[in-house]
Amino acid sequence: MIQHFPILAIMVLFLGAFLTVLCGKNKVLRNIVVFAAMLASSVFIAFLIKPIMIDGEVITYWLGNWSPVADYAIGICLVVDQLNLFFAILVSVAVLLAGVFSFKYMSRDDTLEKYFTLFLMLSGGVMGLVLSGDLFNMFIMVEILTFAAVALTAFRNRSEGALEAAFKYLVIGVIGSSCILIGTTILYSQFHTLNLAQLSVLLHNNLQPATILAFTLLLTGFAVKAFVVPFHPVEADANAAAPSSVSVIISCVLTKAGIYGIIRIVYFLFRSMNLAPLQFILVLIGTLSMFIGVTMALAQKDFKRLLAFHSISQVGYVMTAIGLATALGVTGGLYHAINHTLFKGLLFLCAGAVFYATGTTNLDKLGGLAKRMPQTAALFLIGAFSISGLPPFNGFVSKWLIYQATYEKAVEFGNIGYAFVTIIALVVSVMTLASFIKVSQSVFFGQLPDEFKEVRETPVPMRIPMWIMAALCVGAGLLPQYMMRYLINPAVYAVMNVGNYIGSVMGPGYAEKIAGQTVEAYSSEFALAGYWSPISWLALFAIIICAFFIVSLSGGKLSKKIHSDSPSGLDPKYDTFFSGEANEHSQVGGSDLFWGFKHNLRHYFDFMHNAHSGVISDYALWAFCFLSFMIVYLFIIV
Amino acid sequence: MSTSEVNGLIIVNYIGSVFLIAIGFYTMMAKKNIMKIVIGMGIVDYGINLLIVSVGFNPGGTAPIFTINELDPGTFFVDPVPQALTLTSIVIGACVTALALSLVIKIKQEYGTLDAGQIRRLRG
Amino acid sequence: MKKNINVRHIIVKDAADIFTPLSLVFGFYIILHGNLSPGGGFQGGVMIAASAVLIYLGYGFKTASSAINMEVIRKGEAIAAICYTCLALLGIFFGLNFCRNVFFNNGAIGDLLSSGTIAFMNYAVGFKVLTGVSFLILLMVSLLAPDSDSEHK
Repeated sequence: MIQHFPILAIMVLFLGAFLTVLCGKNKVLRNIVVFAAMLASSVFIAFLIKPIMIDGEVITYWLGNWSPVADYAIGICLVVDQLNLFFAILVSVAVLLAGVFSFKYMSRDDTLEKYFTLFLMLSGGVMGLVLSGDLFNMFIMVEILTFAAVALTAFRNRSEGALEAAFKYLVIGVIGSSCILIGTTILYSQFHTLNLAQLSVLLHNNLQPATILAFTLLLTGFAVKAFVVPFHPVEADANAAAPSSVSVIISCVLTKAGIYGIIRIVYFLFRSMNLAPLQFILVLIGTLSMFIGVTMALAQKDFKRLLAFHSISQVGYVMTAIGLATALGVTGGLYHAINHTLFKGLLFLCAGAVFYATGTTNLDKLGGLAKRMPQTAALFLIGAFSISGLPPFNGFVSKWLIYQATYEKAVEFGNIGYAFVTIIALVVSVMTLASFIKVSQSVFFGQLPDEFKEVRETPVPMRIPMWIMAALCVGAGLLPQYMMRYLINPAVYAVMNVGNYIGSVMGPGYAEKIAGQTVEAYSSEFALAGYWSPISWLALFAIIICAFFIVSLSGGKLSKKIHSDSPSGLDPKYDTFFSGEANEHSQVGGSDLFWGFKHNLRHYFDFMHNAHSGVISDYALWAFCFLSFMIVYLFIIV
Repeated sequence: MSTSEVNGLIIVNYIGSVFLIAIGFYTMMAKKNIMKIVIGMGIVDYGINLLIVSVGFNPGGTAPIFTINELDPGTFFVDPVPQALTLTSIVIGACVTALALSLVIKIKQEYGTLDAGQIRRLRG
Repeated sequence: MKKNINVRHIIVKDAADIFTPLSLVFGFYIILHGNLSPGGGFQGGVMIAASAVLIYLGYGFKTASSAINMEVIRKGEAIAAICYTCLALLGIFFGLNFCRNVFFNNGAIGDLLSSGTIAFMNYAVGFKVLTGVSFLILLMVSLLAPDSDSEHK
């Protein structure tokens, strides 16, 4: 019976989507159907944890009972091994919490049955992508989730820029899906099979020019879905325009689906991670994503667009760690993937709560909301400290692993470039902290504008998923050994050693018979450096945060008199003139906390602002340049 | 036509599909009218469909349909799997075109223009 | 010129009158014989949806929307999708895997019902496509300017 659970976990989401269309107008029935579908899917995935993660089985499920005939895979299969289950757990947790949040958050919009239908189709598509063992099945699920995400981005037609963000997302998404499809076709024309396990054996030491082209196209296609560097402006636009519960799914779940695709292509299908130039290009893409994401985020004026740029930089961390091809690197990457889902989900839900209460996400207009919404402010601070990598929260654990992994790779291989990556990762972490200090100052602390004096605390149905996510953040930070033993280490083992997967899908002994040689497994031993005992860090942190709250919330007569004796001729807003008269009070606008820093680096920021021009043809041109560069590069190195 | 001629002629399909994909990508990159970008997406889809169908060609094979008359187990036919893949891809292409055209209608109603250089309220 | 418009209108209306029943019957034939001859659910469904487009072209949007009830079509699409999922889940209830052909043993090759569950899945897919595509096209047409009825100015 338990082998039916993967397909049931996917199908119950799709069935819920179709049933929601039927019972559209009845609000209570629709909410019950949606919640039951998401909960049933999560329960099915939870039942799979014990056999797969703890006992180490691999469940192979052939649709229609079409088992392989004469060592040839003729059916479509779903395979659940430890890596698949890791991503399935990530998806189901994020979908369940975002769905529960959106019951109350979207209650002011109309035509909600279309929203929930699309939401369930999106979840079903992602669940199908991470549980599938067949290359064309993965392509179909990628298309389903792209359509649902595009339609959900444009859901609030009247809001600023929603339609153009959806159109840009569709164009770039079609480019990515087309690359995946061409890659699949080329692989099929060479080997006449679409099964991942069989392809991985047939491609062993068998790289011809056609398969190298297929490798490039598949890698580019999944990199588009993961929104790494040349494809990132679309994610910023889409996250700023979409409703917040959908932003959680786009920036936390869809990017991880792209990362899952990249891991499957590079580690499993082509097994070429031992090539040093390939590691170099993946680490380079990750480092560029980290750096560009956080520097663009410092200059933003919109709350959700800023969070989206931070999301790009965190996915850069994951990409860097995965590109290192050591066990410690992959551990850090996967741990950071699940941490990013938790804390970025929490931050986007806080942004949604702020939007629900005040109606705006513009940093210049918000301010001082901590007095009226204290719990939301506390949750936002938990998320902000997690993303910056401060000790008792989960960001610290995974970033520590990534720093150590890059440094060890620099030491072990004598390659000084990876030490630069460690330095850049540390600097980006500091800039992330700076950016979140700016955001919390401008949204939650500071002066409360007059029009927001009557806002109320977030309603309880919206607060419950936020508290659950915050508890998971703190838990993952305080108990890293349990997370690693039950979730991360089995997944890393499954990434590095593929014999288990192939043996379960095609029958034992298949890989040795076709390949004719035995390949030894990568070593997944590592020793953690440094000392962290989360409980002592937590005590220190509690003391510091008590002091912080006492000082900042006690009010006091902190006057904000700024005497203007140096009028800079650049921008009149730095002078204190209000309605034609000189004024002594001048509230520094929330987005200008680092205006000195931005002014010093204005050439870089001007170049970046002009580069992100918003014209869709430019973004398509970047995508095509990346594809051409990767084709030339991979033909040279292989 | 003899078998070797038909075998050689299949390369026209491959050249044609690469040509279509290249033209489609060029249209998406170089044109500023978003209607032309949607047409470019359609051309890329058609090029890929032609590529998939051409992959399944076996020279000298017949159609893979078992009717009452031709029921020999050893009949040599063309590969039916890429035909199923092409059908799915055609459906996806139709859905993409429908979604893109709906967005173009609403963009025209709201922005008043179809020029990609002016539909850029989200930038920077 | 008014006379010119009327003549074009009459020709389009008559062409729609001739081709609508043709496309309906041929589309149903393609759906029904999906397991025996080329075609199947998607192709037949699109041909039937073409008849909705022909009605719009010949008679204008007001007539088309009163002839085809959009709410019923929307519900029909969801019902067809649920039927397809339930037919696929039938395999699990019989103890085998998902999407398994569970009663394929009756009938000779060439009969209409000789392929078991595949035929019914085909009908479900055909129904979903015909309702889905016709709803889609009528919805997109209704978004256009309201003067696109019968006077093609």
